[in-house]
Amino acid sequence: MNFITFILRRLGLAIFVLLGVTLITFTLSHLVSNNPLVAWLGRAASNPQLAALYVQKYHLDSPLYVQFGYYISGLLHGDLGFSVFKGEPVSEALIQTLPFTLQIAFFAILLTLGIGIPLGVLSARYNHTAIDYGITGFYLAGIASPYFLLALFLLVILTYTLHLLPSGGALSPGVPPPIPITNFQLIDSLIEGRWSTFLDGLVHLVMPSLALALGIFGYITRVLRASILDVLHTNYIRTARAKGVDENTLFFKHALRNASIPVVTLASIVVTWLVTGTLFVEAIFAYPGVGQYAVQALSNLDYPSLMAITLAFAVIIVLSNLVADILYAVVDPEIRLQ
Amino acid sequence: MSENETRRFLKLLFTSNEAKLGLVIVLVFLATALLVAIAGKSILPYNPIQQNVGPVLAAPSLQHLFGTDNLGRDVFSRIVFATPNALIVSVTVIASAFIVGIFLGCVAGFWSGILDEILMRSTDVIFAVPALILAMSIAVILGPGLINMMYALMIIWWPPYARLARGEALRVSQRNFIEVAKTSGIKTFTILRRHIIPNILSPLLAYATLDIGTVVVVYAGLSYLGLSVQPPTPDWGGMVSSYQDYLVSAPWLPLFPAAIIAAVVIGFSLLGNGLRDAIESRNIS
Repeated sequence: MNFITFILRRLGLAIFVLLGVTLITFTLSHLVSNNPLVAWLGRAASNPQLAALYVQKYHLDSPLYVQFGYYISGLLHGDLGFSVFKGEPVSEALIQTLPFTLQIAFFAILLTLGIGIPLGVLSARYNHTAIDYGITGFYLAGIASPYFLLALFLLVILTYTLHLLPSGGALSPGVPPPIPITNFQLIDSLIEGRWSTFLDGLVHLVMPSLALALGIFGYITRVLRASILDVLHTNYIRTARAKGVDENTLFFKHALRNASIPVVTLASIVVTWLVTGTLFVEAIFAYPGVGQYAVQALSNLDYPSLMAITLAFAVIIVLSNLVADILYAVVDPEIRLQ
Repeated sequence: MSENETRRFLKLLFTSNEAKLGLVIVLVFLATALLVAIAGKSILPYNPIQQNVGPVLAAPSLQHLFGTDNLGRDVFSRIVFATPNALIVSVTVIASAFIVGIFLGCVAGFWSGILDEILMRSTDVIFAVPALILAMSIAVILGPGLINMMYALMIIWWPPYARLARGEALRVSQRNFIEVAKTSGIKTFTILRRHIIPNILSPLLAYATLDIGTVVVVYAGLSYLGLSVQPPTPDWGGMVSSYQDYLVSAPWLPLFPAAIIAAVVIGFSLLGNGLRDAIESRNIS
């Protein structure tokens, strides 16, 4: 199979999966009650004028499969429904909140790799020593921690004991947010040239992204360690060693490069964890991203928002899986043949 | 497995100290849960629901091992009292996923074709949404409560089991002895029951042991979000979220239940890893 066919097949699968997810969210919003109006409008459903408007807009008097068709076409036009609790279209609320979550995710991924890769290398280099066991204990604790434990733990240590970092929010009180251009606060403050706002925003990102990274870096460490140890036992390493290549060159230049390939396959686990973790981390650190929005939507029984957020998370995961698959096929041509 | 084989397997399993530690944690958890489930509140040092059994927000001490909460309730008793729920949720969810997974996986792997395609693509769809988010969406529709949350988890938990079972069923059904069984006219159901299912059980069991930890984490997450047992009945995740407000004055309050969750998860993952390694090395030797 050549590369183009491979990508097209993956793309087709991604579209199919997303269609499947829309079927789930569509079904769920129709299961809320016999009358989907209640789900979408809440108490406002008793207003006959509004109800009539909704029946007309969402074709609620048509058969289900027709409604599903309109639902999909609405989604494609960016219509994710209306959030009564936010008082604005769901798409608007997502545009406001998603950049905050992406900011956290970006730094969380940097930290995950920044912690996970060196520790994986260390524990493979000092395989079966105290260093290896120490690192294993550290990452096991991270992986086993429920989503909120690390966030609370960091708060107690870094904020309430050492007073190093702010307890939450996206900016310190009194710091005016930058003029929204991209909706990414960090980028916007740079565009405006407000360095102090940029730094303040950055400081507020440290704990949420660290709390996420500490829970997930262990997967990187574990896979990298195992993969390095595998590679070190291959013939080409043995040959290189026999030819007199020194151990450090052998380890860092020959082994590490090839051992990094399987780490790409973790993209799906990492992104899934980050997406789930934002719910808890953003709620704990009062960070105004999608996670906090989801938790608010949950407590206000705002179904349109919940379904749209579920869908948005699925889109993020499917897209990152697609990118990881393609990346993997680029670095490891064998995959394309399967 | 014969008795001899069982002994060899256990020996393999317990060569690793991690697996031993895992087993100890798991046994403590199981024993506590069963004891509380049978004996009820009477074996606890204090009534977990009664208020003012001690001072308000007391630090951990010999009288109150994990301190007391904002209503003067004993936190240790509350955490112990919530153990049976964690056990019930994880065992029920895993058992249902196990049974559904084996059934669907065998059907897909043994007959392949269109059924297989449909099953695999539906697992793709479910994998695209994080378990906790999907369970949350379903649980909120069903309404909060332990039972509804369990339904939500059961609805979404089977796909990895089905995939695992399907892969194994596919592998086993291509072996010669299955071909022989088929051609000698043995009923399909008998082949499945006698030859396929016993062969796919052990990898699934190892996976299930590891997976109990995941259920516990997701369950804790959902109950943190208020979708499980309603107060005043104690529940690990729910305790963390309601004690979070006291993080400054009494940080141990939310940290103790959260750490207990982590400990249980570590126990199951150490034991699960040990099981998996033991099964692998048994297959090699």
